[in-house]
Order: sequence, then C-alpha cells, then structure tokens
Amino acid sequence: MNHLSDQELMKIVQAGDYAPASEIYDRYSGRIYNFAFRFLKNAEAAEDATQEVFVRMIKYASQFQGDAKLSTWLFSITANWCRDYLRKSDNKAKEAEDVLLSLPASSEYSPERDLERRESELRVKRALGALTAEQREAILLSRYQGLSYAEIALIAGCSEGAVKTRVFRAMETLKKALTADVGGGGRWLNATR
Amino acid sequence: MAECDAMNEQMPLLLTESLGREERERAHQHIENCAACAAEWKAYRATWSELGELPEVEVPARVKEQFLSTIGASRDSKVIPMRSRLAPGPRPSALPRWFAQAAAVVILVGGSYYAGNRTAPLRVLPSPATIQSVEQTPYSIAETRVLNASAISPNIEGRPNIQNVQFVDADASDNQIGVSFDVTSRVTVTGAPTDKSLVRLLSYVLERDNSTSPSRSNAIDWVRRTYSDPNHADPEIADALAKVLRNDTHEGVRIRAVETLKDMSPASSGTRDALIDALKNDPNPAVRIKALEALSNLAKAGTALDAKTIDTLRAKASQDDENPYVRVKAAELLSEIP
Repeated sequence: MNHLSDQELMKIVQAGDYAPASEIYDRYSGRIYNFAFRFLKNAEAAEDATQEVFVRMIKYASQFQGDAKLSTWLFSITANWCRDYLRKSDNKAKEAEDVLLSLPASSEYSPERDLERRESELRVKRALGALTAEQREAILLSRYQGLSYAEIALIAGCSEGAVKTRVFRAMETLKKALTADVGGGGRWLNATR
Repeated sequence: MAECDAMNEQMPLLLTESLGREERERAHQHIENCAACAAEWKAYRATWSELGELPEVEVPARVKEQFLSTIGASRDSKVIPMRSRLAPGPRPSALPRWFAQAAAVVILVGGSYYAGNRTAPLRVLPSPATIQSVEQTPYSIAETRVLNASAISPNIEGRPNIQNVQFVDADASDNQIGVSFDVTSRVTVTGAPTDKSLVRLLSYVLERDNSTSPSRSNAIDWVRRTYSDPNHADPEIADALAKVLRNDTHEGVRIRAVETLKDMSPASSGTRDALIDALKNDPNPAVRIKALEALSNLAKAGTALDAKTIDTLRAKASQDDENPYVRVKAAELLSEIP
C-alpha cells in the first residue's frame, strides 16, 4: 500500500475501508508528534494529540478534499487540537514541564560536541517557550515543517499577512534569545583552478 | 531608515525563500550596501540555523497501537489485501456501530475542524516552481555573480554558510545547469552536471547539517531529475545522498534521499551499504520500506546482492517486532533473488 499516494489512500478510507490507516500514520505521525511536542511542550499531551489527530482523520475523512495536501489537512487538525488544549487553563500550567526534558546523549558525537548540542537544544527550547502560542505555531510550521505561508494561513485560520507578522515577531524574539557565530564565506569561489 | 525597517520585516521571508526573485535580489542589494542590515541579516541566519539544533523526537510505539485499537484495526490488518472498492464486502462488525457513534458526534459538535473554517474550504495552491531561468533575470545587478564551474575550485573551503539555494536549467537541451545561492552575495555557478565543481557544490548542499529541510528536499528532488540520467551518474552525488539517508533527522528528507538513490545507477557499494543501514536502523518504517524497494531495483538491474545483504533481508523477514509491511517486502525481495 506504500506505493499509493496520500490522495489514493484517503479515497480508500473515504470508501469505508480503514486498511490504509496504518500507512498514513507511518507517513505523518513523526511530523505530527514533533509539531505537537514542540507546540505544547508536553510529551504526554503530544501523544494524545497524535492519537486524536489520526482518529479524527478517520472520523472526518469525508471532509478531506482530494485536491488538498493531506499534510496541510492533518496539521490543521493538529493545530486545532493543540489550541484547544492550551485554552484550558489547567493545561497551561503543564506547559513548562517538558521544557527542560533532554534527550539521551548520542554516542554519535564527542562528549564536547554532544554537550554543545544539548546546550544549544536547551537554548532553542527556552527561546521557543518564550513565544506566544500563535507565534510558536507559525514558526514551528515554517521552520520545522517547511510549510509555505499560504499553507500556514490555512492551518492557523488567518491571513497570510498575519502569518508574516507572527513569523517576523517570533524571529525578533528568537534572535534576541539566541546568538550564534556564523562562520564561513565564499572564499573558495575566488579560488580559480 | 524606512527602507531598513522594511528590509528588516522582509528578512524572515528571505530565510524561508518566500520572496519573489526581484524582491529577493533587491533585498540582497540593500543588505550588501547597508552595514546595519548586513549585521541584522547575519543574526537572522544564525538564529534560523540554531533553531535547527532541535532534534526530532520519536513517537512512542504505544500511540500507534492505541490509534489502531481505537479505530478497530489490528496491526495485522495492514497486510490483509484491500477489499475491492467496486464491490465492497461487509465491514468488520465493530465499525458500523463505531461509525454511527462518530456520525452522532459529528452532528452534535457540528464538525470540529471545518466548523471553524466553514467559509474557507481547504484548498492549497500549487507550490511555485523552483527551477528558474538565468536568462530571464530582470536585474543585472553587480551583487549577482555568475561563475562558470570550470573557473572555480572543486574544493569547497571553510564550510561556507550558503542559503536560499535555487536550481537553474534554462535550456534542457544544452547540458548546462546552474546552482544559485547566497553566500556573501548572490552567486550562480553554471556548468555541465558532470563538472566536478558542480558535483561537489551539489553534494555540499545535500550534506550541510544546518540546511533547512525545504532547501534540502528541493535539492534532492532536483538531483533526482538531473542525476537519474546514467550519463550524469556520479559516485560523489550518490555518497552525499547516502549521508543524507544516514544522518538527516527529517524522515521526509530521508525518504526522498532513498527514492533518489533508487533511481540512480550504477549503484556503488556505498549506496548498497547505506540502504542496508537504513533497512536495519532507520526508525521510520516508510524509510525501511523504501530502502527495500531500492534494493529490489538494484537486484532487478543485475546487481548481485552480497551475503550480508541477504542475511539482513532474512533477519527482517523473520523479525517479530518489525512492521508487517517491512517483513512482507523483505520476504518478497528474498523470493525474487535467484
């Protein structure tokens, strides 16, 4: 079934056959989970979001239009779920729980490089945590999911102009929080052979 | 000053490659001539790059199990052949009841997603083309340098922070391609796909660890179109794709890499090893399936699969906790090997 396009898989689901559910899950669960995890800053909530998004995908399959991108539709459902979650006051208190949660050290790098990466990761998490929910949603979809502003506008239910403003303000905040040494240049271009 | 403020607001658009060609070139022209904006642009790029330090997190396996359980599909259902859509058979008994409940929920809550977007049905405009013509450049400004690949060194020094990479194929019949990017200014390097400087540049674009995912995905798609032609085959490109397959944290990028490797021939031992590594170690089953398809292509093209590969296939076909599709695919491939 993995040779079928997203649209073909969804047509099968729309016809009442849920056999493609697993394949669709495999294609998108990683992106959905990571988006929710970074948006909500809570691993448990991200798990709930991921499961619920795919359940809703099945429930509302008939509303998926074949000429749309499945990824955009799924992120719309995810973002709605996450916004609802954050609206509940009890959940806001849980937001910061996982901010400091770090991944296990990777043996792929030297201890020094590994420490650098983990510190950088922590800085980025804190910086993202300082954004408003709207800004965080926009920057996560733009930077980590590579979606266009038009797609983000559809997902966020706002205009493209509003997305541009959110990304701009998010970048201003992030820029203040993060500093990095940018190395390299185009020296090799001047080296003739 | 007003121009600088406007430029500042455009910088995120520059980073996400969302500006049109004219606006982009105008922006770079301003940045090059304005020290304040150049510093600001450098800070933006550093921030964007550091955001890439956040690693991808793997989804716990229980989430999928819970999902499949909720919709009434067992893990095994993935390998059951689909019912014919022309003559659908009866659904599993749990589904009509579940579906009726779901329909009731839909009626009660008025639809969760579309209710909030009822005036805007989800329609996505096609993405803009990424291949642009050098000949159609409306600006002839000094900051856009066009260099012939034969005139520059194939050895890229200092890991330059290149951004906004675009690919150029003005005339598909002339065997000349180009790669445009921002370094300290906008540069377009042109030459034949087999020119070593271009090959190294493309390999560098593919391998850069701070590259944004869209740029890398575009690069892979373009490499696939250009280097699937056996006349352009180059082991360095294949090696670069193999590194992407091994190291990229984005599964979408890894899938593109393995799909591209599948189309490239002849395959080197490095390519085969990368596919085997992906099959053995990639956390995403979609990538593992694609790796199997690529190995199948190699076998069909006459590449002999060595004992190590066959052992891996056997192990995958019989691995209890492996995704059923991966197991079936591995078994199918084993059966195809003479």
